Amino acid sequence: MAAAGADVLVTKIKVYRFDPEVAKAAHYDEWDLDVKPGQTVLDLLHEVHYFHDPTLSFRRSCRSAICGSCAMNINGRTGLSCNTQAKPLLDRDGYLIVEPMKNMPVLKDLVADMGGFWKAVYDIDPYLRPGADPPKGPYVVPKHRMDLLKIAQDCIMCGSCLSECTSREANPEYLGPAALAKAYRFVADARDDASVERLKEYSQPNGIWDCDTCLYCNEVCPMGVKPMDAIMYMREKAIEAGIHSQGSKHALAFYDTLLETGKLNEFKTAIKSLGIPGLVAQSPIAAKVVLHGKTPDLRKKPIKGMADVKKLAALVEKKRKGAKK
Amino acid sequence: MKRHDVLILGGGLAGASAARVAHQAGADVAIVSKLSPLRSHTVAAAGGINAALAAGDTWEGHAFDTIKGSDFLADQDSVEILCREAPNLIVEMDHLGTPFSRDESGTLFNRPFGGMRQARAFFAGDRTGLALMQTAWEQLVKAGVTLYEEWAATSLIVENGRFSGLIAYRIADGTLEEFQGKAVVVCTGPGGQMYLKSTNAVTCTGDGTALAFRAGCALKDMEFVQFHPTSLHGPNILITEAARGEGGILKNAKGERFMEKYSPKMVDLAPRDIVSRSIQTEANEGRAFPGGYVHLDLTHLGAARIKERLPEVYQFSTEFAGVDPGKEPIPIEPAQHYIMGGIATNNAGATNVPGIFAAGECACVSLHGANRLGGNALLECIAFGKHAGAAAAAFAKKTAQIAGGEQILQQEDRRVDWLLKTEGGERVEALRLELKQVMWDNVGVFRNEQDMAAALAAVRALRKRYPSIRVGAPGKQFNYALIEAMELRNLLDLSEVIVMGALARRESRGAHSRTDFPSRDDPNWLKHTLAWWRGDRIELTYEPVRITQWQPQERTY
Repeated sequence: MAAAGADVLVTKIKVYRFDPEVAKAAHYDEWDLDVKPGQTVLDLLHEVHYFHDPTLSFRRSCRSAICGSCAMNINGRTGLSCNTQAKPLLDRDGYLIVEPMKNMPVLKDLVADMGGFWKAVYDIDPYLRPGADPPKGPYVVPKHRMDLLKIAQDCIMCGSCLSECTSREANPEYLGPAALAKAYRFVADARDDASVERLKEYSQPNGIWDCDTCLYCNEVCPMGVKPMDAIMYMREKAIEAGIHSQGSKHALAFYDTLLETGKLNEFKTAIKSLGIPGLVAQSPIAAKVVLHGKTPDLRKKPIKGMADVKKLAALVEKKRKGAKK
Repeated sequence: MKRHDVLILGGGLAGASAARVAHQAGADVAIVSKLSPLRSHTVAAAGGINAALAAGDTWEGHAFDTIKGSDFLADQDSVEILCREAPNLIVEMDHLGTPFSRDESGTLFNRPFGGMRQARAFFAGDRTGLALMQTAWEQLVKAGVTLYEEWAATSLIVENGRFSGLIAYRIADGTLEEFQGKAVVVCTGPGGQMYLKSTNAVTCTGDGTALAFRAGCALKDMEFVQFHPTSLHGPNILITEAARGEGGILKNAKGERFMEKYSPKMVDLAPRDIVSRSIQTEANEGRAFPGGYVHLDLTHLGAARIKERLPEVYQFSTEFAGVDPGKEPIPIEPAQHYIMGGIATNNAGATNVPGIFAAGECACVSLHGANRLGGNALLECIAFGKHAGAAAAAFAKKTAQIAGGEQILQQEDRRVDWLLKTEGGERVEALRLELKQVMWDNVGVFRNEQDMAAALAAVRALRKRYPSIRVGAPGKQFNYALIEAMELRNLLDLSEVIVMGALARRESRGAHSRTDFPSRDDPNWLKHTLAWWRGDRIELTYEPVRITQWQPQERTY
């Protein structure tokens, strides 16, 4: 190994390896590399692949954070290897570990199977569904209306959000943040004429109401896309359009009991969102909850400052009615 | 064996446009791409797409600017088609869903681009390529076009002078398979990875261009290689021309706005060939920063405007150079960006081999001649992608499938097998780096006889060394080392064509700038270069430029 200069750091890079042609189990390999300022994690992987071990597999193309090929798990957080600077990460953590994305099967080394990712995107009807004949020129859509798309339109389908999605981890059928951000992109598009149909479809199980609002998708997106904001927008629009599902009923019941009593009454919420037959169907889960000692605490007191909460709720209602007009 | 009427090789904007139209014409269409379509290099195109759509603009104005930009080497009938169709294509893409930036009244925004006398580049922020690619991909999904993703084509099959199919390698599991088809549209995009400094993606290795070349298609004007003036110093990531369209200023190490000297009229928005040469001259004469870069100054625009209009420039500068463009100038240098030349086609995208069509950057109609203007590449992908798709579907309709790719399949199978097992002494990446250095040093922004003769000898020597390579990875699944070895062969073949064409062309025109022949020479060189694969050697021939209404004139800005 060459002697390191002042700016050069000699370090180990630890990489997840899996080759189903060779062994059933995965392992990690390590290489000593010189890390120069400005080098990205992709640069280091290229160095390994080109000069140390050509069998190392990873997807990449543009190396400028726009093609979405090279998402992977770097020191425990999913991101693009091409725009992740290695040295600041080493300075912060003291190590560098590169692994494939989560929530997807691994095919080889850092190559994840994105089949499930793409399937969800296909499932949301990812194309404009315009209404009657388009105008002669471009659609007349004012800037502020087109700007609604901004929180979603730069998605490069890299999969980082899905890799970190806690709802997807619990429910592999959940459409996930990227597909729902794509869905939002059409719901919010003034040129699309199918937003009510779309919201009905997305309100089905495994859709917008399955997000557990952990915010990781917004946090890790390398393009500043905000899938969770997009999902929350669609929830509001669904309720406004009177599209009700177990999820929306739950949200409304939650809201109502909070405003009525100043505390969350799980029993009331459950009855309101599920109805009696639903409650009966859910009783095995309720039994499990009790068995695990997770029975809601009936003694809890209403929150303080209920008057302010009610004022706030009234303000929001007023604003919402104003926006509708 | 798989079979479709029309095969589209490559799933970028040209391929997706071709596929959409061929599908609409009733053909059974399949896209074969070594990437997923949304990973195609189209998404890296940033600044805009040109059209004479604004009030007061004319298609003739757009056409003249394009032809003058091309240094009069573009075929003018082809440019006329491009510029006449452009406004409707913008409207069409808007109707299909592209979120073009617009003002509060709903009118689409446009901005000035290099070499254009009028602001006519329409855009979606500074991620116009991404936005157009998304729309084109969405339409493929809607139509249900068959996609073979992560299949790398290794060879086009020509039987009795006619296309009959192709062989492709499935990256996921190492399957080699014959795809029969009546027609193919080659849309594999850029191939600039033979240059050390390039804005191209790592995967831009000119595969389709090389495959078509070896299958008998002529390559046209390959010596015309565009060097983009503003790539980020170091990683050579593209800083879009839109940065100057929005008011960015180039400054040398002495703080001088040097473009005033080289282009008194258009200054920083002169065409790319001129700006790149100006930067290179500043560097050669000692007025660049150490390492050869100059500054692109956006600070006077303010952070808010930069984030609104140029979010990608903001992202790239901060992430890759640690520079906040609202506060500091961006360090930039020229880098290979685009190849004007490519697979020679007519206005319908047809090549000299029946059944083989081509469109997009890998093709040469010729729309860009000796130098392409910014904002015309995305336009070409849609306009001529559609023409090629329609022509391929029509060709397929009146043609019967020829069978018989079995022999080629076996030959390709042996070649892959050899690559997997060969234990030569040459590392693929070492050869590739040598090639990149040779091409950058000797066939770059400025060229001369001596350097290019050395480059030709070096490229030929590298081609001779290719049989001694070692892939070093025997696996069948996601063996990217194997793919890189195949890509290297393509880069080597195309490099030889570039150098031969450049060495033969004893003049300076557009991006081909020779210090030993500094002037344009219309009497001798107002003609297209055609390169032909003859198995053991490459042959050059020439054909005239088609001129309709704009006679060549002196090109000053």
